[in-house]
Amino acid sequence: MLIEGIYLDGKTSKRHTARLEVNNDHRVTHIHLAEQQQILSFEHQHYVVESRLGNTPREISFDDDQLFVCDNHDEIDKLISWQTSRSSNQHSWLHRLENNFKLICVSTIVTAILLYGMVIYGIPSTAKVMAHNVPNFTSAQLVSSLDILDKTVFEASRLPPERQQEIRDLMEPYLSSFKSLQPKLVFRSGMKANALALPNGVIVFTDDFVNLTQANDELIAVLFHELGHLTHKHMTQRVIQDAMLTIMVVFITGDVETFDLVTGLPTLLLDLAYSREFEIEADTYALTLLDKHNIPLHSFADAMTNLENYYLKESEGKNNSSMNDFFSTHPKTAERIKLVEQFKN
Amino acid sequence: MSITSDTLDVENNPTQSNKTLGFEFRGDGMEYFKIWIVNILLTIVTLGIYSAWAKVRNNRYFYSNLYLDNDNFRYLADPITILKGRLIALAALIAYYVASIFFPIVAVVLAITLFFAIPYFINQSVAFTNRMSSYKNIQFRFEGSYGQAFMVIYIWPILGMLTLGILYPLALLKANEYFVRNSSYGTSHFDFNATYKDYGMIFLTALGIALAVGVPVALITYFVPALGVISPLLFIVMYFALIVYALVSFTNLFYASLSLVEHKFEANLTITAQAKVILINLLLTIITLGLYLPAAKVRMTKYICSCLTLHASGSLDNFSAAEKENISALGEEFGQVFDFA
Repeated sequence: MLIEGIYLDGKTSKRHTARLEVNNDHRVTHIHLAEQQQILSFEHQHYVVESRLGNTPREISFDDDQLFVCDNHDEIDKLISWQTSRSSNQHSWLHRLENNFKLICVSTIVTAILLYGMVIYGIPSTAKVMAHNVPNFTSAQLVSSLDILDKTVFEASRLPPERQQEIRDLMEPYLSSFKSLQPKLVFRSGMKANALALPNGVIVFTDDFVNLTQANDELIAVLFHELGHLTHKHMTQRVIQDAMLTIMVVFITGDVETFDLVTGLPTLLLDLAYSREFEIEADTYALTLLDKHNIPLHSFADAMTNLENYYLKESEGKNNSSMNDFFSTHPKTAERIKLVEQFKN
Repeated sequence: MSITSDTLDVENNPTQSNKTLGFEFRGDGMEYFKIWIVNILLTIVTLGIYSAWAKVRNNRYFYSNLYLDNDNFRYLADPITILKGRLIALAALIAYYVASIFFPIVAVVLAITLFFAIPYFINQSVAFTNRMSSYKNIQFRFEGSYGQAFMVIYIWPILGMLTLGILYPLALLKANEYFVRNSSYGTSHFDFNATYKDYGMIFLTALGIALAVGVPVALITYFVPALGVISPLLFIVMYFALIVYALVSFTNLFYASLSLVEHKFEANLTITAQAKVILINLLLTIITLGLYLPAAKVRMTKYICSCLTLHASGSLDNFSAAEKENISALGEEFGQVFDFA
């Protein structure tokens, strides 16, 4: 059998029109160079027939970087099928897989399901297990400690000391039952209305937030929400999830550098989805605690409504597009209030 | 370059000298999609191990379909080499995460070590990529020096920032100069000839567009708040236009400044065509929830290759191969995992 193609000697970039000779034992024996009227012998040489990949040219590489290239897929496939070497045969099933329409459809669906499962269940549950097995002292050192926030965003609280003491006294009985989390209540200003739980157990209430609440029960409801974050180690989980997500994206699209926007957006959206999941978990936790301590559940809904009114007032005059909801780390207030209703039943 | 019988060929074929050769990408979106989806499936099923083979298959597809003068490029890396690099890099990443959780001090030391190791890894990474690329069975090469790499990766960009961007075009120029001039095709070195002015003009034009659009829009929004609703939209459009402008200008400038011995390159990307490609890709990728991603990559590559030409002065048959050398894939994989390359 003779196969028409091109021969490149690997020493210079000159291409030679060539003919590959395959003998009756199905071994490549010679390459005939037409222009030079030369015959190169490969009778006892080792050679590798590269696997088929789409419609790219077929290559047979010999010792000393010599290369034979051709477009004759049928002949080369025949040559591969005669090969005893396993490495070449191994790859032909890949090409079959890549060209089987049914298999492609099945792989697309299976891949989508596997990815979905990994992102929705795999990563969060692995992160949960990991977060709860990380020794306690470590989470104290994880990201955003109060010191950093104090240097960057926060300012000292301007609430009257009596009011601060009043809130502390109010919270004390509840906090004392969470000794293992080492919760510590602090007041700060410099940020809009917000309450946050840092991984080392520090719970921050901003002045604006304390001022917008209309009843002490609302403060307790929000405290429970933050305790929910601490109990579930949400901060630690989020760090672990982000790391796993990054590794996954690198492995799957690692070779698609030009599409940062396309791959970056879903990653961001996933991170936000995870974050909203945590909020719902913390909300449910807060409602359970409120119920346990016989505090009316609507105080949580009230706190949320007051918070929303505050932010609506803040953004008055500016156009607040619905895009903000889409990109929000927190669920919508309406949804959170609905959760309260559902919980009551 | 060797002056052997090959030179005679050129004289024998005068039609070969001084011709313009176009780059051409012969890949197909649907064909690549099949390869891509099988890659992802096998990567998931093998818990990431297959990703090394996937990378080789992806790269082979793009290299092998890239043609110049009817000869295609090739990607030569061995998946096992890439797998080794990937495993080591991944182990280092996990060690880094664990260390930063348990011993913040160790993490700081590691971060500083990484900082100084990055130029070395980038050199290794470029050397690996070049060495694994071949055209007409001749491999590309890269021989960088740590000192120069350190300069273009840290010192020049920092100087650019300290001078409030005035030296930033120079930083970009120096980086391109460094990577191109230390690259070679076989034994023939690439050269890069651009000026500070070339790069500066692109920055100035981009700044000019930003000001010419940004300032009026900001003023109108301030005085006529009713029109404020559309101003974010205008800013997004302007931002997109600027990105495309920069992408197109820098690519065109890069190839215009690039040469290989007496052969010159040219790129003729246009803003409208490039913007069209990006928008179509973005739209279809979003509509198909990412399934269009491989076809988008093919479309993008096709467009860019269709704009590239080589002004060959004489035959392309006279390049000779460099001596053999071995480079591990560690630098490349470190770069991908730690996100600096």
